[in-house]
Amino acid sequence: MTNNLWRHAVAIAIVLFSLFPLYLVIISSFNPSGSLKFTSFLPGEISLVNYSLLFTDPRIPYLTWMKNSLIVAAAVAVLSVTIGAASAFAFSRLRFKGKVSGLKLLLLVQMFPAILAISAVYVIMERVQSFAPGLGLGTRPGLLLVYLGGAMGVNIWLLKGFVDSIPAELDEAAKVDGASPMQIYWLIFIPLATPVLAVVALLSFIGTFNEFILARLFLVDMADRTIAVGLQSFIGGQYSQNWGPFAAGSIIASVPIVAIFLSLQKYIINGLTAGSVKG
Amino acid sequence: MLVSIFRGKFAFVLKVITLLILSSLLVMLAQQAFASGEYAIAIFLAVSTLALNFVYLTKRSVPLKFFLPGLLFLLAFVVGPILYTLAMSGFTYQTGNTLSKPEAIAQIQKLSVSQDENQTIFDVTVGKNGSDELSLIYLDSLTNEYAISTEKKRTVEPESTVVKDEFDIPSSSPNFRALTEDELGALDAQIPELKFYYNDEYYLALEGFQAASLYKKSLQFNEASDEFKSPVNNDIYRDNGRGNYANVSNPEDILQPGWRAPIWFENYTKLFSEERLRTPFIKVFLWTISFAGLSVLTTFALGLLLALALNKAIRGRRIYRSILILPYAMPSVMSILIWGGMFDTDFGAINNLFGTDIAWFQNAAFARTAVIVVNLWLGFPYFYLVASGALQAIPAELSEAAAIDGASPRQIFSRITLPLLLKILSPLLIASFAFNFNNFNLIYLLTGGGPIAQLDGEIAGSTDILISYTYKIAFDQGNSNLGLASAISVLIFLLVASMSMYGLKKSKVLDDFV
Repeated sequence: MTNNLWRHAVAIAIVLFSLFPLYLVIISSFNPSGSLKFTSFLPGEISLVNYSLLFTDPRIPYLTWMKNSLIVAAAVAVLSVTIGAASAFAFSRLRFKGKVSGLKLLLLVQMFPAILAISAVYVIMERVQSFAPGLGLGTRPGLLLVYLGGAMGVNIWLLKGFVDSIPAELDEAAKVDGASPMQIYWLIFIPLATPVLAVVALLSFIGTFNEFILARLFLVDMADRTIAVGLQSFIGGQYSQNWGPFAAGSIIASVPIVAIFLSLQKYIINGLTAGSVKG
Repeated sequence: MLVSIFRGKFAFVLKVITLLILSSLLVMLAQQAFASGEYAIAIFLAVSTLALNFVYLTKRSVPLKFFLPGLLFLLAFVVGPILYTLAMSGFTYQTGNTLSKPEAIAQIQKLSVSQDENQTIFDVTVGKNGSDELSLIYLDSLTNEYAISTEKKRTVEPESTVVKDEFDIPSSSPNFRALTEDELGALDAQIPELKFYYNDEYYLALEGFQAASLYKKSLQFNEASDEFKSPVNNDIYRDNGRGNYANVSNPEDILQPGWRAPIWFENYTKLFSEERLRTPFIKVFLWTISFAGLSVLTTFALGLLLALALNKAIRGRRIYRSILILPYAMPSVMSILIWGGMFDTDFGAINNLFGTDIAWFQNAAFARTAVIVVNLWLGFPYFYLVASGALQAIPAELSEAAAIDGASPRQIFSRITLPLLLKILSPLLIASFAFNFNNFNLIYLLTGGGPIAQLDGEIAGSTDILISYTYKIAFDQGNSNLGLASAISVLIFLLVASMSMYGLKKSKVLDDFV
């Protein structure tokens, strides 16, 4: 028992460190004064005024921001997995000339930090804006396209890994029976891979939900902003003034993401050792 | 039953219709891109359309049917921007040099005017002359004669033939009829563009429909010799090869705006040759390395300590574990912003907790400490998780054998467990270093790169890492330099890519398909 004492001591110390900001943000979100000023570790008066401000205060179009984030993240998740799964299938199961060099290129591309090309993306989309005002800079479809492109490399790579782990016997048997690659894909591969596709879609959802800088560069209008950009601009360094509603808003925004993350723990931890670092 | 959806006439018709809609959309976009001079984008769209139709209408390549859409997205939004970054890094692409050369010339011509010294304004009537050209009729108060000006010429009208309205303003003549209200309305949007000839040095521009101001052309462009000349003092401005017209007798005197001109590697070389760029660049570079190194070191150390502590089935391990991964499960943007509040000087919990009064983000050393602490909080669960996994993977026989040989637990750890762990985890340590090297969100959201030394025009702050510094250079209001920013991006990419390739070689991912 004493032998385990140091283990508990280490774990408890680090648990306290982990919980410190989370606990305080939760307490202050229920504090009716809405102030950042920290007086005690114990919760005082509990009220929901900060939460109700989120839905009533016109300075914080919280529901609109949340809706924007959910729409963009869901669209990216569904579309990028739909497109990515087909590519991953080809790279995992089909034979073709240039496959190896294609894979190497894909590996390189998915390692490329998207943020490095951000000014190029900005200038290119500014040009697109000049001839297609609905698709360029400052529009949600434009942001969606950029996200899709950015998600493609990682998703194809991730999906390929998963596809590789699905036994090939079934589709080989189907091939012997005369099934075309399209039939194998739709009738055998997709039903088998659906859970995996769902996991990758959820990961993609989390990633997009948490994306900040492209959304900030792209979406200028208050009503277009995503939750990350909206809350950042709301708090904008003025911690003392807007803390209460911000605390409440960040908690509501985090809860679904934490829930998804915890339910996907197993897959994420497997993916960790494959070398992907969550942003 | 299902098969029939993917085969047969129905599927074929569906495919053709989808392709048709997509193709017409893409072709339309390509046309618009071409019309506005975006040739590269137009060509990309056109080639994509051809490829899509070719791949899905013929049976030439089955694999392409699967990965063409993904490939097109990658090309458009990843490979394209990478190449574009590379290209931009070879140009003077900065505030004042964002146009193409013909656009810049047009702008200079438009801007190189000033109202004449006396701010002369004439009362005018807008109309058409005898040859149906848009013109003005007015009393020229400088020469005291009635005149009609079109875009190209000015003619004097004898006073006797000019009809005046009730305010004594000339309104018509045998050579001039005024426009109707409707005609004027249609012209409204063009007012700022309209110019009327006065003499070789001056022209008239409308201020509404009843008045025109006299403007002076201070520069004249000579297309054949590609130079601007000032009719006032005969200064000549020539292309200086760096995206500006510069005064021949005084190279510092350049005309605005300039254009994007190729300067090849100058954006790279001036990072090292120009003192005002080199000093911040080296400072930021060194901090980037320290930041990434310290981040990996601290997160790995704490994660490993935890993994070791919880490597035994002690009571409450599951509870510890689920709390410990919370920092990792939180959306990091929210966590960083929350931490920003914790470090607030006046009200923040940290100063309160320790009874201090530190202005965390105003002082370089404190700001750097805060950045590392927050990154430790964000990152240690990752290494806790992977180190736990790796500890399981190390065969227990090794430490048991060592223990039998009389090794102390400390010796077992430092001689056996740690070296093995480092070997297993080294690709992840490298990946984590590469990730933190470009950890833009943390810096941008927590400190904004600050504090910044109050030097004139200095934008690099004490916690700025290369990528946040690059962002500032690229998007600095009023003084953005995309060429220089792209050059730094390319350098970062080379660094990070070689680190990652090294890491991959170690992790033997590449072996699978070489």
